Amino acid sequence: MQNEVEKPKKKGTVRLFRKEYRTNEVLVGILFILPTVAFLIFTFIMPVIDVIELSFTNFSMSAGTMKNIGLENYRYLLELKEFSNLAEFWDALQENDFWASMGRTALYSLLKLTLDTGLALFFAVMLDKNVPLKRFLRSTFFAPVVVPMVASSLIWMWFYDPNVGPLNQILAFLGLPQSKWLYHESTALLSILLFSLWKGVGYNIILFLSGLQNISDSYVEAAKLDGASEWQLFWKIKFPLLRPITSFVIMMGIINSFKVFAEFNVMTPDGGPLGSTKLIVSYIYEQAFTRGRMGRASAASLLLFMVIFVLTQIQSMVNAKKTIDVE
Amino acid sequence: MKGKKIKNTTNLDRHYVAFAFLMICAVIMLFPFVWMILSSFKTTMDVYQYPPRWIPSVWNGDNYAKVFEMIPFLRYYWNSILTTVVMTALQIGISILAAYSLVHLRWPGQAVMAAIMRSSMFVPMVVTMIPMYLLVSSLGLVDTYAGIILPQITTAFTTFLLMSYFASIPQDMIDAAKLDGCGPFRIMTRVVIPNTKGAIATASMFSFLGNWKSYTWPLIITNDKMYRTLPIGLRYLQQESSMEYQVMMAAAVMTILPVLIVFVFFEKQLVRSITLTGMKS
Amino acid sequence: MKNMKKILCVILSLAMLAGTLSACVSQYVSKETTPAPTQAPPATQPPATGGDATQGETPAPTEEVSIAGTTLDVWYAVSGTSGELFTAQSEKFAKEFDVKLNLSYTGGSGDTATKVAAAQLNDTAPDVALMYAGPLYTGGKDNYDIDALIKTGSGFDINDVFEGMMDYCVYMGQGYCAVPYGISTQVLYYNKDLLKNAGVDMTNPPKTWDEFKTLLKDLKGKVGGNMVFDTSDQAWLFKSMLMQNGCEIIDNKDGEITPIFNNAQAVAVADFWHSLVTDGLMAAGEHGNAESTFLSGNLAFIAASSNRISRWNGTTTFELGAIEMPYFTQPSLALGGNVLVILTRDEAKVRAAWKYLCYLTNVENNTAFALGTGYLPIHKSALEMDSVKKAIEENEMYGVAFKQLDYTWAYTHFEQMGTMDTEIRSMLNKLEKNRGTSEELLTSAVNALQKEIDADK
Repeated sequence: MQNEVEKPKKKGTVRLFRKEYRTNEVLVGILFILPTVAFLIFTFIMPVIDVIELSFTNFSMSAGTMKNIGLENYRYLLELKEFSNLAEFWDALQENDFWASMGRTALYSLLKLTLDTGLALFFAVMLDKNVPLKRFLRSTFFAPVVVPMVASSLIWMWFYDPNVGPLNQILAFLGLPQSKWLYHESTALLSILLFSLWKGVGYNIILFLSGLQNISDSYVEAAKLDGASEWQLFWKIKFPLLRPITSFVIMMGIINSFKVFAEFNVMTPDGGPLGSTKLIVSYIYEQAFTRGRMGRASAASLLLFMVIFVLTQIQSMVNAKKTIDVE
Repeated sequence: MKGKKIKNTTNLDRHYVAFAFLMICAVIMLFPFVWMILSSFKTTMDVYQYPPRWIPSVWNGDNYAKVFEMIPFLRYYWNSILTTVVMTALQIGISILAAYSLVHLRWPGQAVMAAIMRSSMFVPMVVTMIPMYLLVSSLGLVDTYAGIILPQITTAFTTFLLMSYFASIPQDMIDAAKLDGCGPFRIMTRVVIPNTKGAIATASMFSFLGNWKSYTWPLIITNDKMYRTLPIGLRYLQQESSMEYQVMMAAAVMTILPVLIVFVFFEKQLVRSITLTGMKS
Repeated sequence: MKNMKKILCVILSLAMLAGTLSACVSQYVSKETTPAPTQAPPATQPPATGGDATQGETPAPTEEVSIAGTTLDVWYAVSGTSGELFTAQSEKFAKEFDVKLNLSYTGGSGDTATKVAAAQLNDTAPDVALMYAGPLYTGGKDNYDIDALIKTGSGFDINDVFEGMMDYCVYMGQGYCAVPYGISTQVLYYNKDLLKNAGVDMTNPPKTWDEFKTLLKDLKGKVGGNMVFDTSDQAWLFKSMLMQNGCEIIDNKDGEITPIFNNAQAVAVADFWHSLVTDGLMAAGEHGNAESTFLSGNLAFIAASSNRISRWNGTTTFELGAIEMPYFTQPSLALGGNVLVILTRDEAKVRAAWKYLCYLTNVENNTAFALGTGYLPIHKSALEMDSVKKAIEENEMYGVAFKQLDYTWAYTHFEQMGTMDTEIRSMLNKLEKNRGTSEELLTSAVNALQKEIDADK
């Protein structure tokens, strides 16, 4: 392979799509991307084409029927009952299960993204300092990430058990009011959020930590000589330099929190009290497997695809703008 | 290193405040683990005692023995390790090539390629699962390792992660290599990879963990228990032992302990090697 | 602008690929009705799922033909003791008849159903399955082999099987398309110690819901803060209660299903349900936690599946008891649990599978399975057996479960039954949390279900 690459003339260039490229770079570049393309076709493009196709049918897995029903699935998902003012519009949104699930997902994602990113950054900065037992602490924050979801959610469901769970016991011991945790509509979503923060924060800590350690000491020293406080040091030097990592973390955060499913399905299999934990993928799952509406589920997941697409686009635009500002 | 020294002397006490705070948080983070380990030694009576009992009344290892009785635990363990390692190796290999190609080489359509790759992360597994299943089972790959592994080779996350590190390799380094007469392939193997070992290690670790907990796909593609992986084993154990939390806890302890040990062991190298990737110059 | 271009590029490239690659799902789904939007070349299509080909001419098993040497793939959805007993009996059969059985535990009812449905789409389903809602995967696909096999009168004495059990093996009110095995009903378990300490006498257990409620109120007065009753499967209990009050849940007219659980009888049941919550006897929306509350001794009564009899026996921190479920106007209990189905359409395999099913469901084996697991025996004659009498003597809870057999009942399987349960659960949740009157909530659940049924017409 090496020979193949080196043989073409050094000066060799090609014009493609009105731009000049080095021939060997184009060849090698495409060669190197081929495995990715192959797996993308296999794991993404082919299934997604199916999903697109299915979204126009009434495909039911158990019945094995498939009939083209045009845009009916999309109409079912998006249609709102009539409204004439804002309050009625709000009611209409809440009455449509798809919109309501989307709304809950947006709320959850917002909370998860802010808290998760904020906490991870905060802990990473702390762990970057010269503290004793650094290794132990880093491992501790990371440890929950390695616990399989079935096991960790079971532990937390036990914690949250209103009767035999230790959390209520601790609350009672401290003289605080006890909670129904997963069994009340006002606390269920937050309970799962708390669990997922515990489970996931270590992931981003490692990413931020690696970014922080890459920041050259010379920047820090220079700032210190200028008499910058710790606070200024973070906001003026470290945070801007961390931007590529932060942007990556936020992008993955948007994608993953909109797609969150496992913990919700395990901890509140029926969508939780009054449906308060039915997020969009739980909704899709219910349509596909409990109600046997694979076609509708496909349509819903394409809509979800578009939502994530738009959000990540906005995020990368904002990020691009910010980077220019900094420079 | 000098910078650290300055920090040490000027902000000594503040770091102890940070330390105390971190320790409190660490206790909270570890609490579920303590609970898990304690519970794995309890009896059913202890589990359902009210008010909740923290320390087992008798320390018995029966729950651990029971796990082995109820599921072929070691076999599941082996399956998990095998599939995870193969998946991780493939993902990282493919991602390195792709990230290098996208960052350090120029060819038409790169932006489109990146956009498609990013999009591949947007679709939830619950809907693509059935089309994938039909495809894979028509290839006769149900109940095979290939059937478990191949459909899970998604490389977008690791590729993007690596791209961000590859991009930070100074252009001078690459130009210098080019002057020495290195072609793209040699630049990758001689310059890019050696200088981003730490990042590759991090990406491998994330990829490993993502694969290690993978559940939905192995569940649907395996019927023979000889091909099942640990997360499925845990789920079945839960269904089988129903309300016997303590057995689940024993299984969970055995599942995570080896991974945790490996992590604690490699953690130092991991974080340090990221620092040493030559990006400071 | 740049981003717009990117988006366009993605859409275009996806569209291009869509054109060149043939999609895979459509290949596997029967397309009698309308062709799928983008058409794959018909030549490459394997035959459609359901075997309309063999329909009608069911193979009659003749005694002379040997089944030795046949291989059957079997998926089952029962675990724990039940799983062990099931595999033990299966292996015995395999040995006796020289048949090879590939047994796989495929997870709980949901997991197994998903797997079977997916596998049926491209003909990789197992030959036999022990699963929940089995008729959807046989009768639902026009497979009534079992009906014909039962009619041959060999090996399966339908007259000795409880009628309710056979009703549980029907799709859309048509012929039989499954065989009962691993069936259960709910039983009312109670914490003997808790009641004894509270001084509540259980020698004459309550018969009706009103009597039971009086007892609960009395108990509540004595034990204070704790809730006293709950169920781990609210939809199941609610359906039984509907029937007990004369509401038949669904109406099946010539294969047209109409939900009717918003009539006056149903409203009365919902009102009663609501009163349990408002009187502080049952917690609102904590059914998912009911079992652990009960096992921790914080709940006096729980309505749960009869298969808990063997699972809980001897592991509870208190003495466990059970009584028959209370009723409104007539005792009646909805059946739940699994059935055996034959999914293969291969004649030789069907023959072997039928032998296998008959073996598992013969009086002796089925009763042994029932006694070992707390699932119900399917045969009327089982109740006369010495082993059953002895078991009842040793563990009164078996007696309770078996006595209930006289009034068990099942509604026909239909495509949207999963949707119905989801709607009922969400309706009860709203009811318990005072989100509407019984009538409003029942009507909106019925309408939602009706809408889904109409969508399939």
